[in-house]
Amino acid sequence: MNGRASGRIGRWGVAISAIVLCTVSLARANVTSERGSSILVFPKVISDADGLQTGYPAGANRGFPVDTIIQISNTSNSMVFAHCFYVTSTPLDPTRAPSMFNPPQWQEVDFDLVLTKQQPTHWVVGPGRPNVPAEPQCSRIPFVDNCNGAGFDPGPIPPISDPFVGQLICVEVDSSGFPINGNRLKGEATLVTPHAATTTEGIMPRGEVSKYNAIGFQGLNTDTNSNDSDLKLCIGGDVRDGCPGGAEYEGCPNSLLLSHFAAGSTDPIIDTLSGGSSSVETEVTLVPCTQDFENSIPGQVVVQFKVTNEFEELLSASTTVTCWSNFRLQDVGQVFQLRTLGSRFVQTRMTPGGPDQPRIIGVAEEFHIDGRPAVDVVTRAAFNLHGEDWAPDPLRPSDQPPVGDMISIPEAP
Amino acid sequence: MNRGFRKIALVVALFASIPASTSRVSADDVTDAHVASDVPAAILVFPKVVVDTADPPATARGRVDTLIRISNSSNQPVSMKCFWVNANGHCSTSPSTICDPNLVPKDVRCDANAVCQPGWQETDFLVNITSRQPVAWLASRGAAGCDQGSPPGVPCFPLDSNGIPGGPNTNAGSRVNAVPEDPFVGELKCYAVDRNEVPKNLNVLRGEADIIRSNTGMVDAESYNAIGIPGLPGVNANNGDNALVLGGTSGAEYAGCPNILILDHFFEGARDPVSQQTVSTKLTLVPCSENFLTQSPVRTTAQFLVFNEFEQRFSTSKQVECFKESLLSLIDTRSPQSSIFSASVSGTLTGQTRIRGVADADRDHGHTLLGIAEECRSDGGGCAAFNLHFHGTRPQSDVILLP
Repeated sequence: MNGRASGRIGRWGVAISAIVLCTVSLARANVTSERGSSILVFPKVISDADGLQTGYPAGANRGFPVDTIIQISNTSNSMVFAHCFYVTSTPLDPTRAPSMFNPPQWQEVDFDLVLTKQQPTHWVVGPGRPNVPAEPQCSRIPFVDNCNGAGFDPGPIPPISDPFVGQLICVEVDSSGFPINGNRLKGEATLVTPHAATTTEGIMPRGEVSKYNAIGFQGLNTDTNSNDSDLKLCIGGDVRDGCPGGAEYEGCPNSLLLSHFAAGSTDPIIDTLSGGSSSVETEVTLVPCTQDFENSIPGQVVVQFKVTNEFEELLSASTTVTCWSNFRLQDVGQVFQLRTLGSRFVQTRMTPGGPDQPRIIGVAEEFHIDGRPAVDVVTRAAFNLHGEDWAPDPLRPSDQPPVGDMISIPEAP
Repeated sequence: MNRGFRKIALVVALFASIPASTSRVSADDVTDAHVASDVPAAILVFPKVVVDTADPPATARGRVDTLIRISNSSNQPVSMKCFWVNANGHCSTSPSTICDPNLVPKDVRCDANAVCQPGWQETDFLVNITSRQPVAWLASRGAAGCDQGSPPGVPCFPLDSNGIPGGPNTNAGSRVNAVPEDPFVGELKCYAVDRNEVPKNLNVLRGEADIIRSNTGMVDAESYNAIGIPGLPGVNANNGDNALVLGGTSGAEYAGCPNILILDHFFEGARDPVSQQTVSTKLTLVPCSENFLTQSPVRTTAQFLVFNEFEQRFSTSKQVECFKESLLSLIDTRSPQSSIFSASVSGTLTGQTRIRGVADADRDHGHTLLGIAEECRSDGGGCAAFNLHFHGTRPQSDVILLP
């Protein structure tokens, strides 16, 4: 009797444990591109008036000019403070492509934002936004549409030296400058071509734009503010060195998912509507979730790519991301080429190379190239990547909690 | 006896070790189950699909088509059922004439004594996707098996009935009908099903839409992520009937739609500080609740709260029935320069708008909304689509009733 009962209980126990384990493996991280957050990351910020860093292949050709408009809003009914960092990855010699002999600078420049309740604000990365109180407002009579500085200034936002390629990170802080979990910030970045430019790929018209949402890290337990307000921002994970209370913010995803065209594919819409020989190229921008601004130590991660084509065939490749990386997929390896993949549409899963490596976040941008001799226009479209936390990590034991990331910021004012 | 006791003790210990993780995971799962466009989900919503392939184009949009891309993020095959929702209007005196009910004062394609009646009609299809497979199709062409005579260059399903040896790896049975009319404007909804077409909470679908215009001397591409509605965890969370219950306090099968949508935008007529072109923003909204069974559109009042960079607030409202596409400056008025979304009225370049579908006593519909925005530059500039931000959920459920 007792044996039967205990056996039955044992079987139930195993079953329940299995369900629990399954449920655990299905839990996901909460890095978000569409909810109010406490940390915003704009992975792709470019201000390059002469196209020195946007050419393709990198360094061989001059690219198209571009500047970035940053929009950030306070989604709450109380005042919000934020501490922001530009992290430049422009190489020491900005006229040449980054290389071993022309390394990126990995330098941060920081500034503060103050947003009143529900206030939106914006600035252009190149010139920044100086504090000028009486900027003209937009109006119909007299007609004023050049009202870039109208509105409450969020604080002086410094101009950057051209060219700039890199990222922008904004951390919600209290009025003293210490991090808090308010989840009240949202943002967008718009990459705009200021004037038409001819490159080896075609003509980029004036006003060609692409836009993506900033990636947000939501703070945990906003009601009790589990943030210890120190200068180490604990992104996901458990208790560890520097994170005595465990995670303060939601973790980064285990892997990123990207749907894209195989390099060298044609665009079926352009070809069916207009004929010609179009092509589509995909550019990916990745940054590690672990960054040390206090000691200027760039995060580094080996990124593994698992590439699935329409025939469900699996190929792989890898690359190293140090601090910030912006690359065309075909530069990673031949596996992204149409002639290798054999199908136009591809799904790629990007994962860190091991459990001790930082997680990654990023955005993608597609360049649709018309290819008609009389047109030869290049158009761009950015989009956010999908995150995935439940993908089995073959290198991590199933009973081990996810490894966390950490952003170390310089001393508060 | 002792062995039995040890087993019981072991199980008790096992149970004792579970609560911390269980409670945490359960709570996480509940809070994690948010509508989102950046994680795989069980229902995908593409709020805006446009087609106009005629030469010369039949609409002011120019020649345009939409590429739908959907991927299976899991290593198991999945099927999905999809609905094109045709939101074309048709002239009251000439039902075969397509028109735009949003045009002001009226669409000239309709006779002087006719009105443009908004339409709302669904057509559905089934797609089988193998593990980790990406698939795509043109809204104007649909897709079938590549071995079934698909035109060259047009996306098709490559894995025929033979599939890859060793598993159920086939797209056989998949056929996407093209959108029912050209020109077309409307939405696409897809949800995961099993092989018997019973809805399943398989959070493995992810999608993107590319809207591409190609006209004389220009081409422009914009992309947005499909909005994903995740199924709730639990073996019995989905009862498999034809009513998909989104959110709410009881009977929820999928996550609830957001209470508020938040849009950061340029005010209409503002000058882009980089390209010096005029910026305009087009908003597309669709309701979360839809009745495909009786074809009864759900009418929702959308309230708009608009904040400029001086923290000054304006508000307006608009009815959304099954699909609403509008320039921001035409939401509150027919005179764009007088709109609260106009830069000359708001005084600043950018704004934040909170959009809320108004709930009422109707317990079958939460009256929540989903949508995307498109930002365009004048004088040959391009357009960019982007996803809206979400805030909160609400206690009422939304329901998608299937045929």
